Amino acid sequence: MTGNDPDNLARVRNRKAEAAHGGGHRKSLRVMAGAFAAVLVSAGCSSGIPEGSIVMTQCPAERAATNEPRDLLDQRYPPGSRVVLLSPPFSAVAVRVLSEGLLAAGNPVVCFTGERVFFAGKKSASDSWQIYESKLNGRRPIVRTSMPGGAMDPAIISSGDLVFSSPVPEAGKTWSTKTPAALYVQVQGEKPRQLTFGTAAAVEPTVLADGRVLFVSARPGGNPMESGAGLFTINNDGTEFTAFALAGQDSLHVRRPREIPGSRIAFLAAMEHGCDKSSVETVLMARPFKSRTSLFPFQTGGVFSVEPESSGTFLVCLDANGCAESPDASLYRIEPGCSVLPPPLFEDRNWRQIEAAQVEPRAKPVGRVSTVVPGKKTGTLLCLDANLTRHRAGNSSPQVKAERVRLVASAGEGTHASLGEVPLEPDGSFIVKVPADVPIGIETLDSQGEVLYRLPPMLWVRPGENRSCVGCHEPYNRSPSNKRPMAVNTAPVTLTITDP
Amino acid sequence: MTKSGYITAGLVVLLAIGSLVYGARAWSIHHVRVWTGRQDLGYVSCNNCHFQRIEKLPWAKPRPRHAAPSGLAISRDGTRIYIALDDLDEVVEGDIATGMITRRVAVAGAPFALALCEEGDRLFVACRNADRVVTLETCGLKEVDSVEVGDAPVAIAFSRTPAGDRLVVANSISDDISVLEAAPLREIVRPQAGREPFAVAISQDGSRAYVANRLAVPETFLCVPASELTVLDPGRGRVLNRAPLISAHLSEGAAAVPGRDWSLVPLVKVRNLIPITQVANGWVMSCGLAIADRQGNITQIPIDEAHDYFADPSGIAVDPAGKRAYLASAGSDIISVVDLDKLEGWLAKADDTTREEAIYDLSLSLEYVVARIPTARNPRQLAMSPDGGTLFVSERLNDSVLMIDTATLEPRGRIVLGDGGLHDPIRRGESVFTKASHTFQRQFSCRSCHPDGHVDGLSYDFDGDGIGDNLLDNRSLQGVAGTKPFKWIGTNPSLEVQCGPRFARVLMRTEPIPPNDLKDLTAYLESLPPTRWEQKHNKPLTPSQERGKEIFFATETADGTPIPRERQCHTCHRPPLFTNRLLSSVGTQGPRDATDMFDTPHLLGIAHSAPYLHDGRAKTLEELWTVYQTNDLHGVSSYMDKHQLNDLIEYLKTL
Repeated sequence: MTGNDPDNLARVRNRKAEAAHGGGHRKSLRVMAGAFAAVLVSAGCSSGIPEGSIVMTQCPAERAATNEPRDLLDQRYPPGSRVVLLSPPFSAVAVRVLSEGLLAAGNPVVCFTGERVFFAGKKSASDSWQIYESKLNGRRPIVRTSMPGGAMDPAIISSGDLVFSSPVPEAGKTWSTKTPAALYVQVQGEKPRQLTFGTAAAVEPTVLADGRVLFVSARPGGNPMESGAGLFTINNDGTEFTAFALAGQDSLHVRRPREIPGSRIAFLAAMEHGCDKSSVETVLMARPFKSRTSLFPFQTGGVFSVEPESSGTFLVCLDANGCAESPDASLYRIEPGCSVLPPPLFEDRNWRQIEAAQVEPRAKPVGRVSTVVPGKKTGTLLCLDANLTRHRAGNSSPQVKAERVRLVASAGEGTHASLGEVPLEPDGSFIVKVPADVPIGIETLDSQGEVLYRLPPMLWVRPGENRSCVGCHEPYNRSPSNKRPMAVNTAPVTLTITDP
Repeated sequence: MTKSGYITAGLVVLLAIGSLVYGARAWSIHHVRVWTGRQDLGYVSCNNCHFQRIEKLPWAKPRPRHAAPSGLAISRDGTRIYIALDDLDEVVEGDIATGMITRRVAVAGAPFALALCEEGDRLFVACRNADRVVTLETCGLKEVDSVEVGDAPVAIAFSRTPAGDRLVVANSISDDISVLEAAPLREIVRPQAGREPFAVAISQDGSRAYVANRLAVPETFLCVPASELTVLDPGRGRVLNRAPLISAHLSEGAAAVPGRDWSLVPLVKVRNLIPITQVANGWVMSCGLAIADRQGNITQIPIDEAHDYFADPSGIAVDPAGKRAYLASAGSDIISVVDLDKLEGWLAKADDTTREEAIYDLSLSLEYVVARIPTARNPRQLAMSPDGGTLFVSERLNDSVLMIDTATLEPRGRIVLGDGGLHDPIRRGESVFTKASHTFQRQFSCRSCHPDGHVDGLSYDFDGDGIGDNLLDNRSLQGVAGTKPFKWIGTNPSLEVQCGPRFARVLMRTEPIPPNDLKDLTAYLESLPPTRWEQKHNKPLTPSQERGKEIFFATETADGTPIPRERQCHTCHRPPLFTNRLLSSVGTQGPRDATDMFDTPHLLGIAHSAPYLHDGRAKTLEELWTVYQTNDLHGVSSYMDKHQLNDLIEYLKTL
């Protein structure tokens, strides 16, 4: 369709039409200015970065004798790790260090214009990890966050603002740290705003083309080793927290979700904690809960990162021997559908190549006008039918029906505070106002007060958010049936935390 | 003059001007209160009641015309394509091999739909604005016959029946179906359809015609809407079945599947009864396909995916082998390809409950949708070559017809009809209006609720002003120019505000429409004339309509009792737009409404925009006064007998 691309046709016709209808010098100047800007953008970067360049994380092949890693990033990026720019023809002597002056750095993300890169870094062993920004022309990095406990996993939303995870969990304790990592958005010049409020850590965010933030978190219970890690989404204002994929499946370690061509999400998955067992898997966005499959069946472990390129290929950092501790971690460019591992695109015996991303302008994700109402203390929860569950979808089972729901809020450290009980309407619907930005749990109760289904505190509403669900544990990707819920015929009950 | 003299003179002048302004303002307020009979009004602009001239409105002015393709027909030998260009009043013939237009013929009255007879020597053309069907001889491409049908025929199909050759015509405004004898053209019968019949398909054996209706007939307030699939015997024109498509509407296509006894109707699964608290997960609407078998059983299946939507399903075509169906998504510029063997396999495995629930499962379409083919702007009508090798797609807003090789599912060429019209802001605005990419995950476009800029006949519950509160009837955008403010509570002073950031927040759930696009969108909306304006404008009134007009402009009741000025119809519904653009209370505040003051709607085209009142509780014009009148607050009607009320309504239908 390239030759017949409708948008291109439209643009060309538009230009012809404008030319035909005159417009004089001003129009010509505008066209020239636009063309100049387009040249700048299409060149990838005004700072003269060669086309086809790659930003990469390198770890020293031989680890320096240091203390035990304090936190997750210390473990992932040992001292000496660095973020570099690598340009064709990809010579080891021609790398340009972008994280100059830092003790360690990693996890680079290139901005939409292809001119800057964000990454996690730390200045000294005693410092915490923060997010740094560096222009690709090699100037020294500027720190962009100052989060207590550190910041990691940068991603960029449509507005160009930074999303990250904080605090950095202790080594090996991502899911069991007292203060779970949450996602934040950092608008330049403002205080960071928290986006997630769950009881489990929210890490590894990436931004989907439709504007949502996709991230890794755990199912209720907080420990993916017990209940399975999953992929979740929020809007870029923290609203509409939703399970996206993997939830409830086998226990597995999930990292680095990325949207890839073919409307798929690729991620690193391992049945055991640790990158050395990671392989690349995908789910289809069209059917995220029922389409898990391997992206590179020939590589069953040792994958550190996978990033899509605009050409449809993948930049993959992996150890061909499937062993993370091997010094052989190299960078590969893999064609989709490839059945054998190609020769490395880049390798350096002194460095392990563990992350790589293409440097080039790319389309911005879709933005969103926030529905959060600053200053409001509550949000609204509307459930269309609490008796609709995926365990007995369609209410076809003769099982006992819920008559009430009990709402609880997390009071920290595994304790819950009651918010109160609400009777269900005859159609199973209920509507309540609950405190905003607090993990909320819901229990459906039968006529005897016995709990039928329990959702531990894990979802939240943002201030002023109207949050709806089709049912309780309803089938995934289920759209609602068209009937007016009886609950909306009365004003919602406001629930507040009463007994911690 | 001394300095103090100048100051004194200045002060006197200022005082005089101030007094004049104050006096004029006081007079104007007095004037407004006298002529509206309302003491609650303060200053009102003169423009609210005066200086409005229809001919000055954008929609009354000439606008650029475009070679937008609508109906398509392919010759029996597969060498020629006939394309209806309704905006240019032309039908053209194209050479499929070269992609060139070979002949043109002028056909007045917006030729919109085409059908060929079995021999291929006669082409039947349904003319939307002229309310007629024309026969063209294909050898000379000349008009040889014509016949009047119902209002706004938009679809036509040919059927060879034992009783003779028949044409089945969907009349979208008069809500009926003309069954015609094909040669010579003669209307045999005109049975009632649902609301806005919009597509016709004939079964392989010619024994059944399937007519898809675009809108649901208004029923009880807040009940689940259902559009109708009307099944009739084309030979005799007898209606065999009226199958409801539950909670579905906006069907613009229909196809019969050879060898399977199915008819397929694309649909929008609407969820207007649920508060619009979100858009994700098809919360507002999703798109699907209805499969109707010969027994009248209907299964609705989704065409959308869990995180990607294919908005505004329009035309549908099935290959001659009945193996694949092709469905145009006009808002997403995509053709979805449905493998009918796979679909049949899935249906065979599914139990009743699974089939009933299928439309709600957004991850289901991968079972049978095997490809998505991109097109240029706004694919609407589809046609299949007789050998099934080529699919033709009318790319309406690109002025072109795309040809797709059905073996490779790749485009094989494009018949270019015009330049796409991007120099025309109205055309660009129509593109914005029909493009789903402005909404989250491309779920819907402006057109999804306003087909042709008109209404979908439903009420919605936006959550911005409270969940369950302030239900709103969807208002027509036709004839909207000059009627500001907008929104039922009149808070939006312009269309730019109405469609701007507020709209992005409450409905689109994305970024606001960019300013230039918004400007174009406004130009398009203002270019929309009221429904059937040309057909009604300046036409002589019948005696009943004349009597109704007298009632509308009456200042006293039949027995001579004066009607208070604020309750005279024409005070609020003041000509020529039939609105004074002020908020009024007519006793219609519901228990969940925050106010009893609502914008006075204009009445141009009012006959076609049911239901009525701010929340759509009145399903007919009659009900405004027979069911929802309170103490004669909405005009004094208590003195009217049935005949007088009918006369009034007959007059309103002429506006």
